[in-house]
Amino acid sequence: MKNKMNQANHFSATAGIQSEMKRKSKIAGSSLNGWLFALPWVIGLILFYAFPLFSSIYFSFTTYSILSPGEFIGLANYKQLMNDGLFWQSIYNTIYFAVFFVPLSIIIGVALAMMLNMKVKGMAVYRTIFFLPTLVPHVALAVLWMWLLNPGFGLVNGVLDAIGITGPNWLGSVTWSKPSLILMSLWAIGQPVIIYLAGLGDIPQELYEAADVDGASWLQKTFKVTLPLLTPVIFFNLVMGAIGAFQQFTLPYTMTQGQGTPDNSLTFYVMYLYDNAFKYFKMGYASAMAWILFIVIMLLTAVIFLSSRRWVHYQGR
Amino acid sequence: MNNTKLNKLILSIGLLMVSVLVACSSDEESGGSSSGDANTVEVWHSMTDTSGEAIEQVIEEFEQQNPDIKIEATYVANQGEGQNEKLLTAIAGGNPPDVAYFDRFEVAAWAAQGSLEPLTELAEQDGITEDNYYGFAWEEASFEDDLYAIPTTTDSRLLFYNKDHFEEVGLDPENPPTTLDELEAAAEKLTIKEGNRFERIGFIPWYGQGWFYGWGWSFGGDFYDPESGEVTADHPQNVEALEWMTEFGQEYGVEDIAGFTDSQGSGAMDPFVSGQLSMKIDGNFGVASLEKFAPDLNYGVTPIPTPTGDNFTTWSGGWSVVIPKGANNQDGAWEFLKFFGSEEGQRIFSETSRDFSVIESVNESLGYTEDPVFAEFINILPESNARPVMTEGSLYWNALADAVEASTRGNGTPQENLEKVTQQVTEALGE
Amino acid sequence: MQPKVKHNLLRTFAHLGLLIASAFFLVPFLWMVSTSLKPVTQIFTYPPEFIPNPFQWSNYIEATEYIPFFTYLSNTTIITVFSTIGVVLSCPLVAYSFAKLEWKGRNTMFIITIAVMMIPMQVTMIPLFLLFNKIGWVGTPLPLIVPAFFGVPFSIFLMRQFFMGLPNTLRDAAKIDGASEFRIYWQIMLPLAKPAVLAVGLFQFMNVWTDFIGPLLYLTNESQYTLSLGLQQFQSQKGTEWGLMMAVSTMMTVPIIVLFFFMQRTFIQGITFSGIK
Repeated sequence: MKNKMNQANHFSATAGIQSEMKRKSKIAGSSLNGWLFALPWVIGLILFYAFPLFSSIYFSFTTYSILSPGEFIGLANYKQLMNDGLFWQSIYNTIYFAVFFVPLSIIIGVALAMMLNMKVKGMAVYRTIFFLPTLVPHVALAVLWMWLLNPGFGLVNGVLDAIGITGPNWLGSVTWSKPSLILMSLWAIGQPVIIYLAGLGDIPQELYEAADVDGASWLQKTFKVTLPLLTPVIFFNLVMGAIGAFQQFTLPYTMTQGQGTPDNSLTFYVMYLYDNAFKYFKMGYASAMAWILFIVIMLLTAVIFLSSRRWVHYQGR
Repeated sequence: MNNTKLNKLILSIGLLMVSVLVACSSDEESGGSSSGDANTVEVWHSMTDTSGEAIEQVIEEFEQQNPDIKIEATYVANQGEGQNEKLLTAIAGGNPPDVAYFDRFEVAAWAAQGSLEPLTELAEQDGITEDNYYGFAWEEASFEDDLYAIPTTTDSRLLFYNKDHFEEVGLDPENPPTTLDELEAAAEKLTIKEGNRFERIGFIPWYGQGWFYGWGWSFGGDFYDPESGEVTADHPQNVEALEWMTEFGQEYGVEDIAGFTDSQGSGAMDPFVSGQLSMKIDGNFGVASLEKFAPDLNYGVTPIPTPTGDNFTTWSGGWSVVIPKGANNQDGAWEFLKFFGSEEGQRIFSETSRDFSVIESVNESLGYTEDPVFAEFINILPESNARPVMTEGSLYWNALADAVEASTRGNGTPQENLEKVTQQVTEALGE
Repeated sequence: MQPKVKHNLLRTFAHLGLLIASAFFLVPFLWMVSTSLKPVTQIFTYPPEFIPNPFQWSNYIEATEYIPFFTYLSNTTIITVFSTIGVVLSCPLVAYSFAKLEWKGRNTMFIITIAVMMIPMQVTMIPLFLLFNKIGWVGTPLPLIVPAFFGVPFSIFLMRQFFMGLPNTLRDAAKIDGASEFRIYWQIMLPLAKPAVLAVGLFQFMNVWTDFIGPLLYLTNESQYTLSLGLQQFQSQKGTEWGLMMAVSTMMTVPIIVLFFFMQRTFIQGITFSGIK
């Protein structure tokens, strides 16, 4: 039975290269199948994505305002951005948020999913509960949080008080507003957790059985079986989490009514982009912002993809 | 999974899809042709509740008087106050409504983009002039010598104060503060602090509708000269106003106040409603909200205190109706605009919506001047200001809000921050 | 015997942890439900009260009369169901091709798929609108449904990750038996990825069910509006109808909760290959 465990590792690491080489020869034959299977998306990409994307690149070199086509101004938008104080402030805020939120959401998400994967009575109810906050509309979430975090009568500071800590002015303080937002965003972690749960559901039961026979401890099973086989979806949530964090918009926008208060500490990149596009009639400028954002996320994703060869294990390889 | 079962499923889904497509396309036919044949005027508005009822009544009366014109009114979420995605896309797509209910604050910017039909000639023909309306409302409806909108509603801002709190701390509830010194003294008396936590705050200058425009004007400052196009955010009196706000904030601890009022500008969780704030600046629309959420609250309203205790002023915004560029039925649209902006249309609308009319005689005839609270709001209207009519109005607004935030938090002096605003807006105007 | 005791202890702790954590996660939902049952004057009390007094059940009736609730509900259902079907049909297929088939240009296409998600929709929504405007789809629900049948990048990426995790042995065996590629996909691989397909379907359902900007831009007739547009109608300058708004929000969550409750069962047991092998 120990062989089975090894087999799993074998799949993930060494076999990859061999099968890769073997498959190379088959490419010609299955190329057609591949394209056929991907055809709906290829068509969709051309129909619904290509034109808007190319348009926005073009807009980024113009003074397009939605209402009027504007003029071609070359790189002027990009140059102007470099001297825009709020642009840099929003970059700082966004990176701050991403750096803390993405790793936290992964650690907490995986931990929650593993807890929710235990065979305990009433698990269906527990799972539903953890999923619930994602269903509450943002407007409602925002108001609720302001109540909970209110330094005067809020529940959070009430609890802190009880254990002798004077809580900060969460949303009123430049220092604490971003941590508060990170906390709020973690509440809506239901979606990644479902993905992890689905990932856990895909792990062959036999691997655990094999490990049990070998007398592996819970910790060993977690680190040798569960986590390695969960890496494909962790990878997914890492990439999507990064993309999502850099495009953070709805919650802070609703909560601060678009103002990014206090003192622009909650003005995130896409919020500022939105104001430029729809409030100041500078869609060209906003498009330039979008493509700078694209380059940043693209570089980051490239790093994640390159590193993934070391830590993401696909059973299929 | 069972193969045949799945195949059946796919087949039935396919059939359903086809039927939906057919249904949708036939829908489109009927929808698309409607604006062509009859004399139909398509109206987009963002009004719900009492205002929603009011617009319906205006339409009903209009249709009765103009049996050959049919109004097709559609509620559109997020129209106005800087969120106009739908109207923007519709105009860009060349398929706008004939009439849009429109935030007057944005008329200048849209007009400058060539997105609104000029109404100057039509207004001249039908004898609609500045004299019909409050000066500031007409000012906001025009841009560079042309009229682009017919004003419909207005508002004003005053100091709300909790009479019970006044009595509790020994202040005369019938003699609210008129000077800033009195305001500060009252605020201090009304504030209850337990430890380092506020149980109640007397006053927060920037809470609710305490936007910087109001304070600047109350101090005798100004923001923009339409003649020369000069931006004067750093007008000496404006700087004084911001210095006063900053000192006020420092006295109470800006962060303590901010945590208290949360980061929401206004509305959702009003501490005035829950009795944690004794005085606030708010608009007449705040009255309706108080009636709804705290009908028993004993409060009064009074002009916003000034340094000298006289020369009271305020500022007003409000709504209007416009004809977007490229509208199909502009003649019908103009008829509706005219009716909505007439004394008759205004009376119908204002009576139900309880929004103030832009025509003084209408407000009088509806008895607003006899209501002790409403009268204060109406009486200050002749003294009211409109925010600068310029293409960068939204930028100016946000920049001033940022300057207040930055200054009160000690992030630059009021002078520096307001100079920055002047520079930023001037640059944007120059582009 | 010792490991068993240890195991039980661990389980008790986990259970306890779950209980505490779920209390934390229940708060927003309970708050929404409680607000939906409050009389309007109780919503802004200080300090906040959690339990409505009295329970104002009439909020629910009033809310369904304030907006044409059932019309909006059926509109939302139609759009959501069709676009979910679209995603469930198209995305696994495309993802399978990215994960298991070898074809020229595959990696480039995959990178493009990820890349299109990196441009914020705020700048692409205007050109996309103009596109749909040109083909005459504005004013119909088609722009909200049809693209789903061609695949959604988020779901394609997610499905691809799951297919990547499935061993090739099954596929190779079937290949030797002479099964066609589609047959392998349809009869072997797709059933194995059922939890993922369900997850993808659920996400699409949720996203479309609560989507605001799409219906706002594309639906021009009030008779076509969806519930998320209806939610906005409770807000006005004179104040938000919190009670009614939360009543509609609560009703909106019910179908998703039911859906979730039933589909989460597929996660409970890890799939076993022994039966198929």
